[in-house]
Amino acid sequence: MSTNRGKLGTYIAVIILSIIFIYPLWILIIYAFQPAYLTFDKLYPSQIPLAFTLSILVQSFKKVDLIGPLTRSLEVAFMVGLIAIGLGIPAGYGLSKITSKLSNKLVVFLFVINMMPGLVVAIPISIYFLHANLDNTVFGVALAQELVVLPLSVFITLSAFRSLPRDLEHQARVDGASLSSTFFRILIPMIRVPIIVAFLLAWMTSWDEFTYAVIIAPIVPTDSTFPVTLYNYVSRNLPLESATFALVATIPVIILAAVLQKYLKGQYLSGGLVG
Amino acid sequence: MRKGAIKETEQNQEQFLARRNVFKKSMKKNLYYLLFALPVLIYVIGLAIIPAITVVYDSFIGRNGYTLANYMALPSYGLYGALINTMMVSVGALLIQLGIALAIAMVLIRPFKGKKAFSTLVIMPLGISTVVSAFVFSIIFQAVGGYANSALVSIGLRPIDWFNTNSSSLGVVMFSDFWKNTPLVALILYGGLSSLPPTLYEAASVDGAGAFNRFIHITLPNIAPIMSIALLVRGVSEFNIFALPLVIVGYHPLILNTLIFENYSSLQTRNISYAAATLLLAIIMIYSIIVVRLGGARDHVN
Repeated sequence: MSTNRGKLGTYIAVIILSIIFIYPLWILIIYAFQPAYLTFDKLYPSQIPLAFTLSILVQSFKKVDLIGPLTRSLEVAFMVGLIAIGLGIPAGYGLSKITSKLSNKLVVFLFVINMMPGLVVAIPISIYFLHANLDNTVFGVALAQELVVLPLSVFITLSAFRSLPRDLEHQARVDGASLSSTFFRILIPMIRVPIIVAFLLAWMTSWDEFTYAVIIAPIVPTDSTFPVTLYNYVSRNLPLESATFALVATIPVIILAAVLQKYLKGQYLSGGLVG
Repeated sequence: MRKGAIKETEQNQEQFLARRNVFKKSMKKNLYYLLFALPVLIYVIGLAIIPAITVVYDSFIGRNGYTLANYMALPSYGLYGALINTMMVSVGALLIQLGIALAIAMVLIRPFKGKKAFSTLVIMPLGISTVVSAFVFSIIFQAVGGYANSALVSIGLRPIDWFNTNSSSLGVVMFSDFWKNTPLVALILYGGLSSLPPTLYEAASVDGAGAFNRFIHITLPNIAPIMSIALLVRGVSEFNIFALPLVIVGYHPLILNTLIFENYSSLQTRNISYAAATLLLAIIMIYSIIVVRLGGARDHVN
């Protein structure tokens, strides 16, 4: 009796929560694929779609620049991901070799630094970048956003190197392999999955990042990433164009998240928790 | 006797020297391998710590040297309102998130049909951009043409002007934040719950403990450390909340971050904005220390 009631309660909770979590995405879709007289111009728009059109999407692409910001976001995200593994792999390797007491302290230090408000850090950086001619550049935005992803990248690569058998490197060296060939031919291939995860997480964080981007590459539409440009369109009261933009920008992340789900088995989450 | 004592000290000394050698060797090894981490450390010091120090330092600089004038001027830029709003949003959003996330985790821990579909649905907001979700919620809660009001009207209730008062505007921000960030908290808590041994519950059931008692006396104490981690991570991000309120409500009502953002770009008010930033930094540091002390999150961090 009580288990039946418990089951019923579970299902009611599941249904309500499912509706809450799917609803905003549903709204975005019916907003982007219905003619404006059913959505934007209506006092009480319908919750279910009554007509279908692609004209909102087509018009938006003609009216505002959507491709430019998305391209810049792509460039920034790839740069952030590459720098994350470029700096993260050697750091993880080095930290895995020293006493774990010290390396744990350093990782915690990185995560603590990450807790500082983005704006506190971003504003002075934007002034440095102004002097270095890095403001309003893809590279400048990537350099600043890198701060957000570095701790997790180091944590992931560190855990990966720690999980390798201790003798592995030693044996390779005894067999006559040089340090660099041991590193690139043996160690790196063995931790390729954590490296991919670190890259994808950095990529996704950068795709979403707003604070650093809006300070380093502000509302000059030609030089901004997609979140900043979307904010710009929303504040210029262009809801139809914004809806198109939001929808288009969400697609790559959903694809990536699906890829990531294959690799992610929860163990990296505990790294995410720390920061 | 004396000879023995001397021998002992000699031995001690030898041991000491040997240990010092080992220590020196390991220090040398540590230093060598630390070089690999040096780029990351330089990066963080140069692009995070030094900028933060600049902000704190400049917040005490006025036209004629050191001053508290920037802080004295803050109230006229709306500091008190911003502080109260930031606290309200942070605490409110945290409580909602923890409550609902716990419910989700408790649901996910049981077997039921459609569990896989449900868990996919629940983690979906993690993949949606903050600015995108802010935009969608601003459409949903629009006073005119909003979907929340159209739902209210369709069940015979009166529409609400959501952005008319401070508290309802903050409510919308809180709700959007709940939507975007609850999945992460739920995943954290689910991780904690699924690591509890099932025998714990079986024993309690045998002893006759009801569902409620089991929750209070077994579940909660056992996931307290992981809850404190969730509180630390989300709490810090809550105080840092920026894009969501900026897109949804703009500068009215103000929160600390929008106050900083509103004033940073002009030279006249830049140090005012730095003073607000320093306050935010201090709040976050105090909050983290409290959570770490109370919840013992530190043991879990390592």
